[in-house]
Amino acid sequence: MARRTTVGQVTTARQASFAARLARFGFADPAAAEQVLSAPVMGELRAGPTDEKLLSALADSPDPDLALAALGRLAESMSTGGRAEAGLGGLTTQALQSLGEGSAVAQLGDALHRDDLTARRLFAVLGGSAALGDHLVRHPRQWPVIDGELGGDDLPPGPANPSSDFEADHHGHAREFLEGVPPRPFSSFTADQMRSELLQAVGADPTAAMPVGELPQDEATDALRVAYRRRLLGLAARDLAADNPLAILPTVAAILADLAAAALEAALAVARGSLPGHGKDCRLAVIGMGKCGGRELNYVSDVDVIYVVEAVEGADEHKAITEGTRLASTLGLVCSKATPEGTLWPVDPNLRPEGRQGPLVRTLASHLTYYERWAKTWEFQALLKARLVAGDADLGARYLAGIEPMVWKAAERENFVADVQAMRRRVEETLKGPDADRELKLGAGGLRDVEFSVQLLQLVHGRIDARLRTPNTLLGLEALSTFGYVGRADAAELDRAYRMLRALEHRIQLFRLQRTHVVPSGEADLRRLGREFGFRANAGEGLSALWRKQAREVRRLHEKLFYRPLLAAAAELTSDEARLTPEAARVRLAALGYRDPAGAMRHLTALTLGVSRRAAIQRQLLPVMLGWFADGADPDAGLLDFRRLSEALGSTHWYLKMLRDSGAAAERLAHVLSSSQLVAELLQRAPEAVALLETDEVLQPQPLSSMIAGVRKGAARHEGDPVAAVMAARAVRRREIIRTGVADVVGLSDIDSVGRALSDCAIAAVDGALVAAADSVRAKRGDLPVRMAVIAMGRLGGRELSYSSDADVMFVADPLPGVDPHEAQAAATDLCSELRRLLSMTGPEPALAVDANLRPEGRNGPLVRSLASYRDYYARWSVAWEAQALTRALPIAGEKDLGAEFIELIDPLRWRPGGLPDASLKEIRRIKARVESERLPRGADPHRHLKLGRGALADVEWTVQLYQLQHAHEIPELRVTGTMEALAAAVGAGLISAEDGEVLAEAWRLAARFRNAIMLWKGNASDVPPTNHTSLDGVARIMGYPPGSAGRLDDDYQRVTRRARTVVERLFYGWDV
Amino acid sequence: MDRQQEFILRSIEERDIRFIRLWFTDILGSLKSVAIAPAELEGAFAEGIGFDGSAIEGLARVHEADMLAKPDPATFQVLPWRGESQGTARMFCDILTPSGEPAMMDPRNVLKRALNGAAEHGLSFYTHPEIEFYLFKEPTTEGQEPEPVDQAGYFDHVARGTTHDFRRAAIGVLESMGISVEFSHHEAGPGQNEIDLRYADALTMADNIMTFRTVIKEVALEQGLYASFMPKPLSAHPGSGMHTHFSLFEGDQNAFHEAGAEYQLSKIGRQFIAGLLKHAAEITAVTNQWVNSYKRIWGGAEAPAYVCWGHNNRSALIRVPMYKPGKGQSTRVEYRGLDTATNPYLAFALMLNAGLKGIEEGLELPDGADDNVWSLTEGERRAMGITRLPSSLGQAIQVMEDSELVAQTLGEGVFDFFLRNKRAEWDEYRSQVTPFELKRYLPLL
Repeated sequence: MARRTTVGQVTTARQASFAARLARFGFADPAAAEQVLSAPVMGELRAGPTDEKLLSALADSPDPDLALAALGRLAESMSTGGRAEAGLGGLTTQALQSLGEGSAVAQLGDALHRDDLTARRLFAVLGGSAALGDHLVRHPRQWPVIDGELGGDDLPPGPANPSSDFEADHHGHAREFLEGVPPRPFSSFTADQMRSELLQAVGADPTAAMPVGELPQDEATDALRVAYRRRLLGLAARDLAADNPLAILPTVAAILADLAAAALEAALAVARGSLPGHGKDCRLAVIGMGKCGGRELNYVSDVDVIYVVEAVEGADEHKAITEGTRLASTLGLVCSKATPEGTLWPVDPNLRPEGRQGPLVRTLASHLTYYERWAKTWEFQALLKARLVAGDADLGARYLAGIEPMVWKAAERENFVADVQAMRRRVEETLKGPDADRELKLGAGGLRDVEFSVQLLQLVHGRIDARLRTPNTLLGLEALSTFGYVGRADAAELDRAYRMLRALEHRIQLFRLQRTHVVPSGEADLRRLGREFGFRANAGEGLSALWRKQAREVRRLHEKLFYRPLLAAAAELTSDEARLTPEAARVRLAALGYRDPAGAMRHLTALTLGVSRRAAIQRQLLPVMLGWFADGADPDAGLLDFRRLSEALGSTHWYLKMLRDSGAAAERLAHVLSSSQLVAELLQRAPEAVALLETDEVLQPQPLSSMIAGVRKGAARHEGDPVAAVMAARAVRRREIIRTGVADVVGLSDIDSVGRALSDCAIAAVDGALVAAADSVRAKRGDLPVRMAVIAMGRLGGRELSYSSDADVMFVADPLPGVDPHEAQAAATDLCSELRRLLSMTGPEPALAVDANLRPEGRNGPLVRSLASYRDYYARWSVAWEAQALTRALPIAGEKDLGAEFIELIDPLRWRPGGLPDASLKEIRRIKARVESERLPRGADPHRHLKLGRGALADVEWTVQLYQLQHAHEIPELRVTGTMEALAAAVGAGLISAEDGEVLAEAWRLAARFRNAIMLWKGNASDVPPTNHTSLDGVARIMGYPPGSAGRLDDDYQRVTRRARTVVERLFYGWDV
Repeated sequence: MDRQQEFILRSIEERDIRFIRLWFTDILGSLKSVAIAPAELEGAFAEGIGFDGSAIEGLARVHEADMLAKPDPATFQVLPWRGESQGTARMFCDILTPSGEPAMMDPRNVLKRALNGAAEHGLSFYTHPEIEFYLFKEPTTEGQEPEPVDQAGYFDHVARGTTHDFRRAAIGVLESMGISVEFSHHEAGPGQNEIDLRYADALTMADNIMTFRTVIKEVALEQGLYASFMPKPLSAHPGSGMHTHFSLFEGDQNAFHEAGAEYQLSKIGRQFIAGLLKHAAEITAVTNQWVNSYKRIWGGAEAPAYVCWGHNNRSALIRVPMYKPGKGQSTRVEYRGLDTATNPYLAFALMLNAGLKGIEEGLELPDGADDNVWSLTEGERRAMGITRLPSSLGQAIQVMEDSELVAQTLGEGVFDFFLRNKRAEWDEYRSQVTPFELKRYLPLL
């Protein structure tokens, strides 16, 4: 992209019409341009249709049409005298003299033809700022300010640089000016000169100790605006015509702050002038805050200030405060009031002690007392930027000296780490947000992010290292980089991004001199902005691409600023990367939320030290992952588990490749490891399951049929080795548990699908175990004399297993024809015992406890019965609770026909024609009432027992089952085993109101999720929530609560179950509430 | 350590303070106090002072008994009645769990949560209570009607009156503790006084009310008197209420004020009142939490027993005071149901949320009542849609049990504890055989 090249091969243009030539010069509306150029006054300017020189200079303007139109109006205004008289304010005598000879227009014409630079600056500003163009038209005599009028610094520019300068190193420019005299071409923009000039404009003596404006207030207010704009015009012309806008950005921003300070000084003089006695009893210092304090002001921005007053010696303090208040409020008015000459900017004094509620001015003592006693953290943060900008220098200096020691001590507050964490999260949240629509300041990757991050690091390390304490963002970044707190290359990149975004913001604001941070979307606007950054063809698109690129850079800034230097410290890299000292690394890790920074440092070293490929890739990965661990409930555990996993897997090819190539997988791994001990432990046992983290697709539940197919294949593979066969089946289940756990922790699945998935993999394991057990029994006893079926009961039958549930089952064995019943029974018992043994035996894969205690006669009855035996039993002995338990019976393994026969057998029991007899209803209610008081473990809090507590799992399940027992015989939809399905059916059939159904479902699901989250958190099953708040917090986070929500989770659980209990009492017990 | 904390540590040194009392409030509104030596204070600021929360009624369950009391430095005050030298100071505390999360069971946290809810709407909540209490002669005898210190009535100026001296002393102490008093006068009952506190944000005011009760009791003791905040100590005389004025501010603007509207009351103000009316019965168990409270409400003499509002109607539950021209910022609503023996944190939280609910749901304000509601017939009241507040603690508990608003505002833990505690109180009350019964039935039956 070539910058400021001359346009138009004019030799060929002779044949073409004038309009076509103009089009070639880049005018969008050649007809309008032609009209302007043919105006008589343009002749005086010697800017006729043939004036190639002027035309090509115009063509180089950001907006040639706009620049030419403004030039026409300027010339018109000059020739008619315009409002030139009113525009004399601020002109130096030298300038006035130079206007003496020849017509004004002709003089401008001379200058434009004499000096390329003059033309370039004039057209840059006329094409880049409609508002300054209007200003110049009203005050045509101010044009020399763009030229050498301000001083002899304006040597012609060197050869035009190709503007690939965006890649060049701008480092060092900032410090150069901020600590000395502005470089060319800004050397006449010193704070002193501008102060004198603006003071003189309002008729005040710049050398006086307390300058007093002699002009009447209204007149002075206008004069101040004119003089201020004149300087702004000069500055903008130099800025917009600069070869490299990024290089001079810090200079421009500092000059803007100095110019604002000068305006404040002049406004103070006006205020004094308007006060009888000129407020002579009152010394007043204006302290600049925010961007004004940091000397990094925008073109248009609120100016933040704080006022300090003091009585001059011998004067009454009370009177001084009254006077000071009037001075300050008049000062604000002089700056912000809209007059025919426009307005400067609002003066915002709200950072003062007590904000809006506080008095506008305070004495030094009152300020210090306030900060000593009452101030909050953010107020000290704001004071980082405090700088004397106008008024009494001695008082200001004493104010700053009084404040300074407090500012950095404030960072030693107790909540410091929490505050920093909150700040970091806030920034990272915005960074993660959707692509910044068009917001330069607040959007993701915007200016605020850079400013905030630099400040955050200054806060973290500036307590100890005073060299980092500067109010200026770019200087702060430079110091962080110089002293090794962030990497040099990263800092340089951010520096460039920040300058780019600021320069863009400046140019957007300049156009209408409006306070805006939004990148315009209009084509013409984008084109103009693009041309200001040196783009020519497709200027708008070029600019948008550049802006997006910089915003992307900024979005990665956390990685760069926060984490990478930690890695460099841990890995003892020898490159020029920033090396934090061990102390600095410890401080930063603690600020990030690691509870054991020393341990974390050890893990980091172990992970990144050395030259292996693994270490190299991990050095790349960890900077980001450190932040992800820090977001989890237990960052230290996350990092430790990651180290273990990497040690197990680091040599495998796909592991590192996956983490490196799939950012999502790495983030997911970090999140899971720092959230769930259960999943972390399962992953340790079977690290290859990390592959599950790669995409959302692999986190989809596996269909039961494919799991069963997998289990059967394993059994076939290991025929003759039942233990190996069952381990294969248990491995299938383990993978599915991990998958479910990961999906659960990352919030990809709801409780219904979790229960389904956990049940299905248990079913597959039972299926595999049955095959293996048959294999084993066959080896001992020969061919099996029975047909077998496994009937799931309880939560497994409902397909709503939790991470910690046993598998409740009943076994049905039917002797083959002609077999001795005793022989058959013995073989069947062997088979069932073997199945239970195989599933629960210790081994590398997680065991599954099989519980058959719901069978007839419980522990005292035979483990397995034949169909006939079941029939006999139920015909003779069945009691109400058995019918209730059978509501969940579901054949899951073995012979399909046998399972179906069993169901046929029990259907008349559970879906009893005519419904539930009254006696049974009473019995069930009585049992439930007794269970409530007896089954609850001693000392357990009934409000907090997830299974048996008030409105918890059992309450809802019993209620739903009662409705099934009562109504399923007439409503087939109720004949289902799942609690939520049955509840939905009862609501669908109008048995339970939608409202009640909602309350019950919410309670059941919440309790089930709570129980699962407890298991996920530490890998220990419990029906009682942890009483330790850290644990409860971790559990709450798994359930999707924000950090620090233990109390809220408890409160939510209580509320939901309280409501459920009311419904249960009404529906189950039939109590009229 | 922040500046305010350093300032406190310094003042303690300079003023030779020997004890610091850490104050907090249990669920029923009793002030709890633990004294620490100045040397402990720095630790208390940083980490809080550990104590056995289960020993305080309703604060914690037994197995999570470890709680932390963390002093709020903004509430530091020297206790004037403890003498100038070697004095004692106090601070209110927030109660935290061991991990530093605010405890759900801490009444101060209940109010803070409600205030945060309002802040999300951009609103802040200000209150201004008129606190009534009785002064009795010492000693009082258990079971006997106490003897008031004088026989004066409303606004009476009693020459050489004890109550006069008392009020002067009490107000002096309150002012020296940074609690501004707006008004004070003799109330209608013998020995009954009223002191009005200058409006403040609800949290500060709840702290102030807790302090106020202590100050009044202390000053009375010094003067050989007994001060009581019992809602209805004398059956023949008016009870002690705590009529409280509320306003909501949106930034600097009084959100209740709308120039030119009826009573200068904005739409938000009308909705707020509507919400309060709708939920008045549900929150009564908290605003009037004792068996005795209901004897004040149903004691006649314009006590606020009927759920209605009026403009300058001194018998309505809610009154919109006369608008003083040019005082837009002082537009407010007076709730007359509260009594002085309530837990101010919980009561303010509930009133705020009841009002906010009215705003959220855009409730319409029913017509105001102009008449003395007590003089209407039951039929008239029904026709006008005026309902009654619960007539006893037992009834109030029943209504509260079904209130989602109360459960949500208090949090489940406080809600549950409060109900259990109050049910027990009510059962105990019901089981007595009273002098009334003995007097009336024994001769007869």
